Amino acid sequence: MKEYDVVVIGAGFGGPVAAKKCAEAGFRTLMLERSARVGEKVISGLTIPFYGFLFGPAFIRDGNPPIERPVDGIINYIIKDIEAGDIEIDDSLRIPRPLSPILAFGYNAYCRPFCQWEAEKAVESGVELRTSTTVVELLKEDGRVVGVKTDKGEEIRARLVIDGEGSQGLLAVGAGIREKYPPEVISLADVYDYEMAKEDVDEVFGYTLRFCWGWDEQRIAPPLGHGNGLMVWPYRESVHFCQDQCLAMDDGKVPNLRKLFEEYHRNLTSGLPWWREEIAPRARLRARVFENFEIFVGLNERLRAMPNHADGIILIGDAAGLESTELCDGVPAAWFSADIAADVAIEALRAGDVSASFLSRYDQRVRAHPIIQWSITAPHRYNLRFAQEHHSLEELRRYVHDGWGLGGFAFMSSALVKMILQAIREDPMIITSWLRMFPRYYYNWLYERYDYSGGRGEPARDHSREPRVAQAVLRAGFKLMDSALALGAPLVKAAAGLLEPVARFANPAMKVLLPGIEALMRGWKKVEPALAPLSDRMIDFVGRADPAVFAAPRKGGG
Amino acid sequence: MTRTYEEFPGVEWVEGAGQFIRVIEERCSGCANCVKVCLADCYEISGKKARIRDLDRCMECASCWYVCPEDAIAFSWPPGGTGFRTDWG
Ligand SMILES: Cc1cc2nc3c(=O)[nH]c(=O)nc-3n(C[C@H](O)[C@H](O)[C@H](O)COP(=O)(O)OP(=O)(O)OC[C@H]3O[C@@H](n4cnc5c(N)ncnc54)[C@H](O)[C@@H]3O)c2cc1C
Ligand code: SF4
Ligand code: SF4
Repeated sequence: MKEYDVVVIGAGFGGPVAAKKCAEAGFRTLMLERSARVGEKVISGLTIPFYGFLFGPAFIRDGNPPIERPVDGIINYIIKDIEAGDIEIDDSLRIPRPLSPILAFGYNAYCRPFCQWEAEKAVESGVELRTSTTVVELLKEDGRVVGVKTDKGEEIRARLVIDGEGSQGLLAVGAGIREKYPPEVISLADVYDYEMAKEDVDEVFGYTLRFCWGWDEQRIAPPLGHGNGLMVWPYRESVHFCQDQCLAMDDGKVPNLRKLFEEYHRNLTSGLPWWREEIAPRARLRARVFENFEIFVGLNERLRAMPNHADGIILIGDAAGLESTELCDGVPAAWFSADIAADVAIEALRAGDVSASFLSRYDQRVRAHPIIQWSITAPHRYNLRFAQEHHSLEELRRYVHDGWGLGGFAFMSSALVKMILQAIREDPMIITSWLRMFPRYYYNWLYERYDYSGGRGEPARDHSREPRVAQAVLRAGFKLMDSALALGAPLVKAAAGLLEPVARFANPAMKVLLPGIEALMRGWKKVEPALAPLSDRMIDFVGRADPAVFAAPRKGGG
Repeated sequence: MTRTYEEFPGVEWVEGAGQFIRVIEERCSGCANCVKVCLADCYEISGKKARIRDLDRCMECASCWYVCPEDAIAFSWPPGGTGFRTDWG
């Protein structure tokens, strides 16, 4: 029987992160994936919020992951009357130029190339990867997990198993570590992928996501709160159209999803003017896929409190029910939890103690993670269903604003500020990594293409008109900042530590400041056209820069 | 060998998946929840029991497993490298 220190189940978004860290620490690590090519059974491919990259694994932040398009805002459409095409628009989440789209609040990506990129990094770090291998059972001895059994009948022993098998958690449920989730916390997403010329996507969407919200009787989207409205995500040369719906309603009834989804899709594509007129003529259906995810698990205290560890095993990402109620940001949660799991695994293996009581520090750290906690417990999106109940347009607008608009910052700022301060306290140099990440990702978006036959496209860079002086200034600026931070590290750390208690006032402060910020943004839109040439020059400058200017300051990434 | 279907473009099914989902007939109450949620039309009701018509277009979403109130659906993943695959999720 083969023996490893760590066996990681699943090479989705979380698995490779945990595996890489364990291998780097010198542990023999095996990662098992049931699909033939990593990522081809993962269906989400939408927006990964910026904080996933900022506070997530260093190799992703400092590397060049395959990104399809940066995102600078959400345009929320509230549909009053689908026949008349009466649509309200609230684009309050847009970031004004010249910061956009370089300063993105998220990045759209397809899963397959992204997970494959992560897995490649793990393999480069010494992880052994086996694809086309389904784990069918956890091996147990005296109630302790000691390895896995594969579909080929092979038994593989491990000192510790990290389970990143995704939302259904068949292995964890089968081994009695946690229960199967009830259908009312699970949402099924029906995703249509359309090809569209890049110029058309640029013209219609720019860098914004489009969400539509409507009433039950319009039959255009799942009843609010039991799923989302319609969400449309732009990629480089394609768009995703996603409708999703919980598997059971509040009264426990299971809706006829096949009928409903067909009806919603038909009504939306034929009745919604911007889809019918702007998108339909330029889009070609390329794929239709569907998958479910555990969207409201975090709101149920009992489910949330289920252990995500047992003797010899740690569950990460979706397998640990960490998908978010607020923004579907399961990817950041998978990354954060995988990072924590690897840290705890390394401590446990070094201490020679993989007992549940030692591993319980994993659950404690996941519970103490400000962003994971905020993202799985914030009820603002779930609350949308009350607008449906009362049929109040005012409520609908408020909930959409708070859940999917600028208002969301009044609920998430404390978590964000806390994470920023914690990260700086651990390593002040992270500030320059953050500052370089945004232009580097933007630069990559401009030049990197991902052919979907497995490889990464050759970048086509034009350095013929590089503004050399400006680049030298920029490079010197970054260097100066590196040195200043290196010198002032103790001071910066101390300041971040002192400020930490203040972080919890960020939400109330945001509530007070939001009306002002929104007024400012409205005002800015009037100024923007005048500043557009300057904006364009700045964006153009980053686009023509020597990529070395934005390279990660320290080694790592790729 | 791989298969494709018109209603689900962009997806390939690699053969060899076998009967990875089964209905445990004694437990099934015929409530049809599984029929209602399956977008791939894999189920039908016959003789007041759910029956798997075929799993050819199954996207392995597990919705049927979640909504069965009687725990009458035995659900597992198909063998490694088989079943659905897509580049577009
Ligand atoms: C339609 C949809 C839209 C979403 N939108 C977003 C979004 O916009 N932003 C966001 O951040 N998140 C989004 N999510 C959530 C996000 O996709 C998940 O939270 C994330 O993929 C979880 O990562 P994971 O590593 O835990 O699991 P996964 O990425 O699901 O990976 C699990 C892996 O394990 C493999 N596996 C499973 N069982 C076995 C086994 N027995 N043996 C071997 N291998 C196995 C699977 O093949 C898979 O590769 C969305 C999800 C869906 C379904
Ligand atoms: S897993 Fe999904 S697609 Fe497959 S039979 Fe069940 S509901 Fe249908
Ligand atoms: S959901 Fe379960 S009980 Fe209901 S028909 Fe299907 S298999 Fe039978």
